[in-house]
Amino acid sequence: MINFSLQEANPMLAPEYIPLAILFILATALGFLVVIIGNLFGPRRPSIRKAMPYESGMRPIGVGTRRTPVRFYLTAMLFILFDVEVIFFLPWAVVFRELGLSGLIEMGLFLLILLIGFIYAWKKGALEWE
Amino acid sequence: MDFGALLLTLVTFAPLLGAAALLLVKPEQKNALRWVALITALVTFGISLGLLAIFNPADAIRIDLPWLSVAGWNVHYHLALDGLSILLVLLTTLLTPLAILSTWTSVEDRVRQFMAFFLMLETGMLGVFLAQDLFLFYIFWEFTLVPMYFLIGIWGGERRIYAAVKFFLYTMAGSVLMLVALLWLGTQYNTFSLPELIAQRANIPPQAQTWLFLAFALAFAIKVPMWPLHTWLPDAHVEAPTAGSVILAGVLLKMGTYGFLRFNLTLFPQASWEFSPWMALLAIIGILYGALVSYAQTDAKKLVAYSSVSHLGFVMLGLFALNQQGIQGALLQMINHGLSTGALFLMVGMLYERRHTRALDAFGGLWKVIPVFGTLLLIVSLSSVGLPGLNGFIGEFTILLGAAGSDALGNAWNQIVTALGVSFIPMRSAGGLWFAGFAALGVIFAAAYLLQMYQKICLGALKAENQNLKDLSWREIITLLPLLVLIFWIGLYPKPFIDLIAPAINQMLGY
Amino acid sequence: MFVPFDSTMLLAILPEILLVVLAGVVLALDAAWQPEKRRWLGWLTVVGLAVAFILTATVSQPESEPRLLFGGMLRDDWLSFAFRLVFLFGAAITTLFAMDHEALGRKGEFYVLLLVSTLGMNLMASAGDLIMLYLAIETTSIPLYILAGFITTDDKSTEAGFKYLLFGAMTSAVMLYGFSLLYGFSGETNLYLLAGKLGELPMPALLGSLLLVLVGFSFKVSAVPFHFWAPDVYEGAPTPVAGFLSTASKAAGFAVLMRVLLAAFPAALPSWQGLIALLAVVTMTVGNLLALAQTNVKRLLAFSSIAHAGYILIGVVAVNAAGMNLGMASVVFYLIAYLLTNLAAFGAVATFGRVSGSDEMDAYKGLSRRSPALALVMLVAFLSLSGMPPFGGFIAKVFVFAAAVEANWIWLAVIGVLNSIIGLYYYLTLLKYVYLYRQDNLEEEQKPLPISRPYALALVLLVIGIILLGTAFNPWFEWSRTAAASLF
Repeated sequence: MINFSLQEANPMLAPEYIPLAILFILATALGFLVVIIGNLFGPRRPSIRKAMPYESGMRPIGVGTRRTPVRFYLTAMLFILFDVEVIFFLPWAVVFRELGLSGLIEMGLFLLILLIGFIYAWKKGALEWE
Repeated sequence: MDFGALLLTLVTFAPLLGAAALLLVKPEQKNALRWVALITALVTFGISLGLLAIFNPADAIRIDLPWLSVAGWNVHYHLALDGLSILLVLLTTLLTPLAILSTWTSVEDRVRQFMAFFLMLETGMLGVFLAQDLFLFYIFWEFTLVPMYFLIGIWGGERRIYAAVKFFLYTMAGSVLMLVALLWLGTQYNTFSLPELIAQRANIPPQAQTWLFLAFALAFAIKVPMWPLHTWLPDAHVEAPTAGSVILAGVLLKMGTYGFLRFNLTLFPQASWEFSPWMALLAIIGILYGALVSYAQTDAKKLVAYSSVSHLGFVMLGLFALNQQGIQGALLQMINHGLSTGALFLMVGMLYERRHTRALDAFGGLWKVIPVFGTLLLIVSLSSVGLPGLNGFIGEFTILLGAAGSDALGNAWNQIVTALGVSFIPMRSAGGLWFAGFAALGVIFAAAYLLQMYQKICLGALKAENQNLKDLSWREIITLLPLLVLIFWIGLYPKPFIDLIAPAINQMLGY
Repeated sequence: MFVPFDSTMLLAILPEILLVVLAGVVLALDAAWQPEKRRWLGWLTVVGLAVAFILTATVSQPESEPRLLFGGMLRDDWLSFAFRLVFLFGAAITTLFAMDHEALGRKGEFYVLLLVSTLGMNLMASAGDLIMLYLAIETTSIPLYILAGFITTDDKSTEAGFKYLLFGAMTSAVMLYGFSLLYGFSGETNLYLLAGKLGELPMPALLGSLLLVLVGFSFKVSAVPFHFWAPDVYEGAPTPVAGFLSTASKAAGFAVLMRVLLAAFPAALPSWQGLIALLAVVTMTVGNLLALAQTNVKRLLAFSSIAHAGYILIGVVAVNAAGMNLGMASVVFYLIAYLLTNLAAFGAVATFGRVSGSDEMDAYKGLSRRSPALALVMLVAFLSLSGMPPFGGFIAKVFVFAAAVEANWIWLAVIGVLNSIIGLYYYLTLLKYVYLYRQDNLEEEQKPLPISRPYALALVLLVIGIILLGTAFNPWFEWSRTAAASLF
């Protein structure tokens, strides 16, 4: 056994993690178990309806592997961009007073860079739906 | 900077400047390009004559400037002209204009690039002979490869690309280990300067000496080329254009023998002593093998190419006799081979230009139609054979004397004899004679293959298609003339040449 | 070591500030301008990068003592300074190559992504903290993924981008795991503080986490066995991008590798030296052997770039703990020389490919007759790659091998020089096509091969640089040494 002299107790083997490890093992085992048992003992009576793709009880329309319109990706990316921006705002706002003027300037620069990106996206037509 | 130092730099880089000047001329103006190249080469020759004028055999002309010095690394721009290098420098600067002259009508395609590569090659060769810093030497050594690669690859014969790649890879493969060896020396002793390293050579541990000797020897042996590393040579020679062959045989091969002389013998004397019988053995095998293979050739150029293997075997034997006569003879023979074989390649080239074949069968009886050519070919062949009165004799004879009297070779022979325990083998005291004796066979073989070549070309029945051959033009005669003059001069009165080189050799051997 | 905030800190990150501003301006102008005016964005980027280069070189030189800035996130020393200049130069040259590339040059996004990636590399070179390091690597990589797949109409380019993304994401995840282990063991994220804590760790734990971290770096520098992406990505990506990937991105990887190994793992020096030596041997040999079989120039350059990573690793091995020997300096020098050389090679390929539309070797037949100038550039670039004097690549190789010999890794140097012969063979093969072979259809050789102005400017700059590095190498090497010495 390697003796990690840096920490007093080895974090990887600390006793409080043992229940966690047991949980992991149980959860994994249960997942496999359920599938295997279902396959072994469940009755199998296939029919056309059962073989159909599940679409919330509706009759499926068209093929299952349709392309998603690229606009969805665009919107998702823009969303993440500004989502992250707001995430950075929150901790900054908390310590706003301590940071003082330099903090304000830095956030201004941060916004400026994002703003250029936003203008770019706008001009290139990323916000046009049709 | 004194005058001599300035001349040294000038002589090395003048061809490079000329190559740059070629870029100013339009590619279509072929004659202008040729003249620029020729004048550059002649100016370089002039500068080298100037160096000869101020040269003092007892002292070297030197330029030594720091180039890079960090962290115990000391690379210098260090050139020197001494007795070991002066004749080779003169040979290089002499052969280059002659080779350029020989291309006047034979190179029509891409003249500008041809001349540029040729002049770059000259800078590389001069740098190799002059560099006194190992690092600088290596740079010049590698620098010669690229132009030669293109000279063979673009303007060569049918299998030129194969030959060019083979030439490049062989030489490169040999020299990379030398790079490791010289880096070891440079980092171990904090200098790349040859004189400083020679001063410290006693500190090199014996085992390291052995390895270093082998690493350097591999690079040089491939270049010489020594048997059994010679296989690139016939391909390169046969496929190269005439001017390329002249320089290849005349100068590039000497870079190998010169490397042995300049680096192996001076830096690792102990290892040289130990390896000398082996090197001499390989040299003798090379002499005999080269001669026999030459005899079997039907292509004139290939014949001359293999004769180089044989002749350079003599040079190697002389070097590894490790005595004054041997080394003197070797150095002189390097020059002789440059002159004779250079001339032979030029003449084979002239023949090829006229008939577009080099097969010996295609000729015969040429004496009757082109007597000037016939006479000159006879003289050059006899010089290569080593006829007394011509230059080849002086070199080979001195080498044989050196080998016969060699302590290094004699010792080795005695050891073998003692080890075998046979007492009836005579002449234990002069074992070097055996080496000399076998080598002397090579002289006889040389007479056989060269005279056979002469006979097939110039004597016998004249073929119909050779009836209308034109004799040599004035340009061609001028190309050959300097070589013929030197062939006779060295053959009849070699003293001035020996006076130039002897002090340096004596100094090197510690007399 | 830590310095409280003052305004000189802003001066130290001046190049990064300028890059952000430039990227913002280009992005805004791209939105504002009409499409036909957008080629000017290229010149704007080049001029902006040149200004940043000059300002960095003059104003934001580091102080003599290395400093840790911004709470230890960045380290201001000569190594980061040298590398930042290299990246700015590489980005400027890449911009010149991209400007007249039909699919790249008319799009402002290209320049913005290039600038952001350069920003990431700058931060990689100066990162002094694991967190900063990871952020910098991602800032570098994500734009590069997009750039590799930039030509969306070309399947190969898309494939390149996607492959690069998958490989990059996987190796970066492994590396991040390594980082987290390091943090977990020591409780520190600062590289320089890490060293003290890691010294007390048992060797297996230390080497285990080092191995994980090395996976990420090996991917960046394309060392075997994390090299699989390189040929496909180089072949598919737009040629200027491939050039950028193989030079600047690789240099950034090496900057990080050196800093992490020496700053955080000095305790394990002998162990990782052996590991890296093994990596070097495998990388060189595999790269060179696979390059032999290539018929596409870009793939050839990809394998050659793998092989060169191997040579550079030799220099990394040959370091000693005092850092005063040639090892690190030779790595820095090699990277500078390689950047110039390989950019020239890719630039020539881009110039040729733009006109002929092919990167196959067969298309290069007779190039020396069709365009002697371009052939000359290829000659210089490929001879420098193969390590022939008097070009920068030769001196770089010699320094790396000398470092190995000096540090008594002679066998490694021998394997290195043997490998360089294999390298020579395939570089010569390409030069054979360029200079020795003729087109089957001789009329092909008569077609003009225009070299537009940005290409000419970039290629001339690079060729001059290669020759300068190979002849007047003293100042450059002195510079590399200063940079390397500041690691410690």
